Amino acid sequence: MARENQNTTRLRAQIFAGLSVALLLLSAWVIWDDEFGLRPWKHYQKEYKALKHEKLDKEYQEALRDFKRSGGARRLEMLEKQLAKAEDAFKQKGVHERYVKLNAQLDDLHAKMALSQKELQTVRGQYLETEYYFTKTQKPEYKKKMDELQKQIDVIDRSNKELLAKDEPLRLEISKLTGGMNEIRAEIEAMKKGLEERKEKIANNDKAPIEIKQYMIKDTDKADRCVSCHAGIESSLQVSQKQPYTKHPLGFVYIGKHDPGKFGCTFCHRGQGRATTTIEKAHGNVKHFAEPMLKGDMTQTSCLNCHGDIKNLRGAEKIAGNTELIRKYGCYSCHKIPGYEGMGDVGPELTNVGTKVNYSWAVKWLMDPKKYFSTARMPKFFFTKDQAESIADYLFSISGTTRHDVDYAAETPNAALVEKGKGLWSQARCNLCHMTNGKGGNHIKVYAPDLSKAGSKLNKTWMFNWIKDPNKYYPGTKMPRFRFTDEEIKALVEYITSEYQDDDAEANYTAPSEIKAASIKKGKDLIQQYGCYGCHKIQGMEMVQVAPSLKSQGVTFLRSDEMREKIGTELSSIGSKPVDLLDFGKLKKSIPNDRLSYIKQKLRDPRGFRLGLRMPNFGLTEKEVNELAAVLYGFTDSNVPTRFLVPSRQELERMAGVPSYKFTGDFAKVIADLKCTNCHSIKGIGADYAPDLSIVGSKLQESWIRSFLANPDVIRPLLQQMPKLGLTGGVKPAKITMPKFNLGKQRVEDTNRTDVDVVMNYFQQELVTPDIPKDIPVLVDVAMPEQLAQGKKLYDQKGCVSCHQIGSDGGALGPNLSNVGNRLRPGFIFKHLENSRKFKPDIVEPNYGFTERERIFLTNYLMTLKLTAK
Amino acid sequence: MNSLYDKVKKNLIWKSVFRRDYRDNARSRAMAIFGNVFLHLHPVKVRESAVKLRYTWGMGGITFLAFIILTITGVVLMFYYHPTVDLAYLDMKDLEFQAPYGVISRNLHRWAAHFMVIVVMIHMFRVFMTGSYKAPRQFNWGIGVILLVLTFLLSFTGYLLPWDQLGFWAITVGTNMGAATPLLGFQGPFSEYLHITPYNDVRFALLGGASVGGNALLRSYIWHCIAIPLISIILMFVHFWRVRKDGGISRPQH
Repeated sequence: MARENQNTTRLRAQIFAGLSVALLLLSAWVIWDDEFGLRPWKHYQKEYKALKHEKLDKEYQEALRDFKRSGGARRLEMLEKQLAKAEDAFKQKGVHERYVKLNAQLDDLHAKMALSQKELQTVRGQYLETEYYFTKTQKPEYKKKMDELQKQIDVIDRSNKELLAKDEPLRLEISKLTGGMNEIRAEIEAMKKGLEERKEKIANNDKAPIEIKQYMIKDTDKADRCVSCHAGIESSLQVSQKQPYTKHPLGFVYIGKHDPGKFGCTFCHRGQGRATTTIEKAHGNVKHFAEPMLKGDMTQTSCLNCHGDIKNLRGAEKIAGNTELIRKYGCYSCHKIPGYEGMGDVGPELTNVGTKVNYSWAVKWLMDPKKYFSTARMPKFFFTKDQAESIADYLFSISGTTRHDVDYAAETPNAALVEKGKGLWSQARCNLCHMTNGKGGNHIKVYAPDLSKAGSKLNKTWMFNWIKDPNKYYPGTKMPRFRFTDEEIKALVEYITSEYQDDDAEANYTAPSEIKAASIKKGKDLIQQYGCYGCHKIQGMEMVQVAPSLKSQGVTFLRSDEMREKIGTELSSIGSKPVDLLDFGKLKKSIPNDRLSYIKQKLRDPRGFRLGLRMPNFGLTEKEVNELAAVLYGFTDSNVPTRFLVPSRQELERMAGVPSYKFTGDFAKVIADLKCTNCHSIKGIGADYAPDLSIVGSKLQESWIRSFLANPDVIRPLLQQMPKLGLTGGVKPAKITMPKFNLGKQRVEDTNRTDVDVVMNYFQQELVTPDIPKDIPVLVDVAMPEQLAQGKKLYDQKGCVSCHQIGSDGGALGPNLSNVGNRLRPGFIFKHLENSRKFKPDIVEPNYGFTERERIFLTNYLMTLKLTAK
Repeated sequence: MNSLYDKVKKNLIWKSVFRRDYRDNARSRAMAIFGNVFLHLHPVKVRESAVKLRYTWGMGGITFLAFIILTITGVVLMFYYHPTVDLAYLDMKDLEFQAPYGVISRNLHRWAAHFMVIVVMIHMFRVFMTGSYKAPRQFNWGIGVILLVLTFLLSFTGYLLPWDQLGFWAITVGTNMGAATPLLGFQGPFSEYLHITPYNDVRFALLGGASVGGNALLRSYIWHCIAIPLISIILMFVHFWRVRKDGGISRPQH
């Protein structure tokens, strides 16, 4: 060392010193970063506490002001003075001694009373025992003993009363001595209580420690630390509109029904619950994190995790509406989707389509359905003209027909028939389901075909047979069989063909032309390749695609249900599919590589990722893409603890082994014909568009049902226009009611009863509930006219008139009651007034809490409301 | 002042801890080395030419420093880590988000691990280029080669512990290479003569199963935290001891 150059030594010392300082600074930074840099929630919690303090303090000051303004402060001051005075007085020597003495007397008195009470009980017990023996044996000695005991009882009773009489004056004297001190104290306390509580709240808030807050949910491996920053999310107090200080929107549903201590946050919102260091990390918006946070309406997609039935679920309105799209476009036809098994075909049967439509139309339609009708549900498969012709060739060949068109535009229609048909068209309310020229139809979710161009598409003979008996051509159809005569059908057909012509229609094969075998073969291959049989029934192709594993063994079609596979990818867990399993193909660089973007892009342009994809393009609007993507995102295989699950009624019944409801007897035939369940729900079967008929037999009077079926009319004019008060907006549909089926004209097959009789019989035998009595209790103490007057008075008092109409007065939200006496059964009204939600949970009618007598008055009054001119 | 000095230094406690004085003479310096359990591996005397940084680059010492850092941070990490499939990844996340000084501990551990692998290779390169593997240092070269392999194994076993996709597939690939080893792996040549199956081959031994799972994680953990460090420490001491016995650290031949 000694020989080392002095300068070198110095330089080394300097480097060492420099590095030491750098290390020291680095260590200081590490400590600072760990304390504050990596724990931004400390700042947020502090800020939240300050905001809450401000808010609580403001409330306290307001309360204090109110207290002063209302004279509370003055009264308090006065009371305090009184109390001080009373206390002073009480402190005087004589008074206090007397107080103690009196209190001792009171205690003594109470002790005596308790003793005497006990004695009384003993003697009474002896008396009862003796009485028992006496009644059993009738011996006179018992009687004697009884008399003795009775005397004792009387004595004790008397002394008891004397003791009791002393009690009151003693108390009075004591209270005089204290000068009402206790009462004053109690009042002061009560006055201060509200303010004290507020003060305590503020103190508690100030005392709350700044710390990591989290929900640990063991069975889902969650530790959600979201509340460390979102400190007020659970609170009912909104301290700020700014994030992260807000309270949870619609908290009474989302927080109230889902205790965060049991569910956590990320179970619904996804995101990275453990992360606390940055907003991006916590919300999961970082690379390689597969579950970014769901915000706003998108969060409703998580309802699907647990809730089997989201139809009338509060807080799940958005997602419930979105699921309708799956039904509309029939995604389940090609993809396996849980909960959508056995939904029936989306498209019509095609086995005999050659007898139904024009060949030129079929080719045009196959090439681009949306071009033909912008509202078409069938997607575009991008077939070339050649391919479309081959498919049409195959379909026409299995129908036993050739390439042929009929051009009705060239014929002159029968004017008289057209006129008659037009009348029938509106009378039968065809427009309820079928859209023509942009009118009617669509709002009922039966998706009946648009008939605006039907005249250039359909064959008249086919149309006649179809209207005569739709089930014959296509047993799964939703089209009801109207009770028309042949003459009427002919007129209707003539009307539709002449009225709804397509100006752009082609008719290239008015002279039929033979089909080539090669084309048929090609068409069949195409149908198998693209899986047309997913949505359409095609004879000979009822079986869907074989699983690839079996196909490699040479199996082409199977008859066994378990081995079948849908043509598309299974969607049961698309919402949690690992992103690296999604094939972004050539779009890898042009769209964000996350699951939601993939799903949306797939819906927008199904074949855009790479060549060889087969999914057709549905031409969805961006709104539909977003809605559908939200639903698909909810199909997950996430780890859902069974305690979270809320199965639907159907699932519960299936689990419990309750057989699903089946219509029986002749009514089953009628319903298969009339398709009542297209609109009505009966015992859980059918749609919720029209009133539920499950208890119709208990609700409605027979004569009224008969007249209604003969000529249906509007019962709830406004509700029908605005389902659920129309709060969701949208297009306002035209006034609609039930179609007129012309019931009662024909006998039901194999019976000699008319269909109306069959329906009535079933209503009264089957669709009844024991909860609704046939008649209501009779009040004997009030004369009938008086009861009616009382009922009328109640009707006016409770404001029924604002929703219900009688005669020309009243609102139109509820049913018109002018004829209610003819329509409803008294038992139903009686029960309905008790609890209107019992039979219809989503009813808008308020519950008034009527007493039984009031309900009897009202029911009797309402039953007098009858329209006589029937 | 002097009395205070005497009070502090001239008593049994002080003397039992600091058993020598700091006089600058040969004996005192030698005693400093002899008397210290950590330093007695070190040669008592070092030639001046041996500390020439340009010759040795100090890489062996720096490797040892990295090892010490890894040991300390590793122990800290072990306090927060469960080697189970359910918790491993979540514990790593908690280290990042929640544990006090978790981020710096984990990152130091990771940086030091990379650093050690690089430095140990440079060390070997230097030893090779200076011909320091030649007699009488052949044995120590052998020890060094084993230590190099152990360093790689430490790195490899540590890779699985976060239980993320990266580690999972790295270990899958790595152990599948084991499965293709001649004789010992079930996919390797000649293994059929030893009746090797997926359930008794070298991959099975590494993973505790036929695929990467909970057992593989536990095995990795034990190898990474206990077994390999123990072997390494023993071999390191042999390594250092041999450096001393083979004539001190290698230096320029003049």
